[in-house]
Amino acid sequence: MSESGAQVLARTEARRCLTDIEPRLFPGNGGPDHGEVVEVCGPERTGKTELLYHLLCRCVLPKSAGGLEVDVMFVDTDYSLDMFRLVSIIDSRLTRALSPSAGSDEEVLRSCLSRLLVVHCSSSSQLLLTLHFLENSFSSRPGLALLLIDSISAFYWLDRCEGGASFSKQEEKLSKCSELLGRLLRDYRITVFATCHAIRRIHSGLSSSSFSSSDSDRPYLCRSWQHLVTHRLLCSRQASTAGGSKEQRMRQIFTVHCSSSTGTKAHRISSFHVTDGGVDFT
Amino acid sequence: MVVLRAGMCPGLDEDLVRDLRAADVKTVEDLVSCNLEELAQRCSVSYKALFAVRRVLLAQHSAFPVSGADLYEELLSSTAILSTGNPSLDKLLDSGLYTGEITELSGGPGSGKSQVCFGVAVHVSQQLKQNVIYVDTTGGFTASRLLQMLQTETSDKEEQMAALQRIRVFRVFDVFSLLDCLFGLCSDGLQQASVGGGSVKAVIVDSVSAVVAPLLGGKHNEGMSLMSQVAGVLRTMAKDFNVAALVTNYVTRSSSGELQPGLGVSWSHIPRTRILLERLEEGTTAASSAAATADVSRSSLRSATLIKSSRQPCLIREEFDLQWWSRSKDQKTSGLKRKREEDSDS
Repeated sequence: MSESGAQVLARTEARRCLTDIEPRLFPGNGGPDHGEVVEVCGPERTGKTELLYHLLCRCVLPKSAGGLEVDVMFVDTDYSLDMFRLVSIIDSRLTRALSPSAGSDEEVLRSCLSRLLVVHCSSSSQLLLTLHFLENSFSSRPGLALLLIDSISAFYWLDRCEGGASFSKQEEKLSKCSELLGRLLRDYRITVFATCHAIRRIHSGLSSSSFSSSDSDRPYLCRSWQHLVTHRLLCSRQASTAGGSKEQRMRQIFTVHCSSSTGTKAHRISSFHVTDGGVDFT
Repeated sequence: MVVLRAGMCPGLDEDLVRDLRAADVKTVEDLVSCNLEELAQRCSVSYKALFAVRRVLLAQHSAFPVSGADLYEELLSSTAILSTGNPSLDKLLDSGLYTGEITELSGGPGSGKSQVCFGVAVHVSQQLKQNVIYVDTTGGFTASRLLQMLQTETSDKEEQMAALQRIRVFRVFDVFSLLDCLFGLCSDGLQQASVGGGSVKAVIVDSVSAVVAPLLGGKHNEGMSLMSQVAGVLRTMAKDFNVAALVTNYVTRSSSGELQPGLGVSWSHIPRTRILLERLEEGTTAASSAAATADVSRSSLRSATLIKSSRQPCLIREEFDLQWWSRSKDQKTSGLKRKREEDSDS
């Protein structure tokens, strides 16, 4: 396969490394390096998508506003991307960081948003074809450093059923996606964050015991995907205090448990609450 | 899965399809994932021709990335917020149902799910003059109740009829007919459902759980898959045709006795906004004064709790009256005034 000079440059030139994407989440200095995959898992309403917005903002914001100024690809398989929410988060971060005199807000906002590419997928075969297709974007945009997938488990049940009785057939699509992703990560050295929904109910009665949590958080996606994952962020929500004041309810606390398996195993627990301006670490 | 057929793209003729099939390459996915050099040798076709075919097929069948700035511009111009007609619900929903999203109402029997759906249908059709698709899976749809609601809005018979005309009802009682109905609506771009040129702005499915819940449980691969398909078609419909989808769901009790929406954790990711409806018990603090003043309407008082939202803080709660939609205009204004006074008192 022939490559143009620009493509070679885009592929081999060092992309922005994202180890410092959010130091408060990862243990030590162990943020995701080039070509590493972070899985964000947890049940509904535990702040997964909100966390993705936070990382997305950090990447697309200009350096003057504390951002990394890199391009981001958002693969939306859940149709969950709420553009208005994202814009309001970017907006509030911009106003916080920049003095009002520094250029028109509209223009800065537009330039932030143009660093984001969004693609919607509605089936696992479309996801596979789209990942193949996106290779063009990766090779032509050296600024593209982050790939977000919300969520990687969206087609889990469809694939399970379509595959019939054969287990390997059921996992075939996602395995193919993972293998392809593995190659793209090696070749283009991008970083991936992917959300993964819980498929089992967490029994709140047993929440304290380690047994129930290990049962409900057990990875269930195919092996080739698990091999790619180097960091897992396990999201949970602290039990809401019923009858608490309005203030307390607004400041519901979300907890993220991060475990990394690169080199030495390390853990870190961090918590945040969600405000109008996005994720706020405590 | 897209099966390779002759004529799908330039260069893909019957001979090539046969050769590829002999090499065990039957679908677009197979062709795209395999090593083209090896394949070219095995099928004895030129690498260049195969590469061109692959590129065209890929462009045809993959989703295309859009710039965030363009997407935002497009959403700004196309997104509509449909008022439900009820100020309390609108407040929870951050001024109404957003097009392009799925909103869920969950609640036990008699919590007012269907009544809210009726009210929304009537409001969107009569006040906003937009078409509504109402998919009824329980047989609970009653046109006379809709007419009753309309009569309080307008006394003009023709206007009432025009509003009813804009509500297109589909009755389906199993998941296959539901999928059939929704896919059918999608494939003709919601054309047949739009009367007199107006576009469809709301799709109401009352209820999703009635047809999906019986399939779950046991070795439930197939049921889960059908549920995902319902979710998938609702999502694409909401996004591609820019309509607001409103679905209803039943509730279960968790082991700690807390009410939670049904259909399990896999469904819980589907709606972007979820509201829990509950019947207000007598003697609950804020309701008691309102219930005492309006003794007759006591049974129609409901509470709505926002349990999932990407725009508002969760767990905010509002109380409202199901009779709202069947009140005349001046009753509404006086009711609103009274509510404001109550709010300022507390």
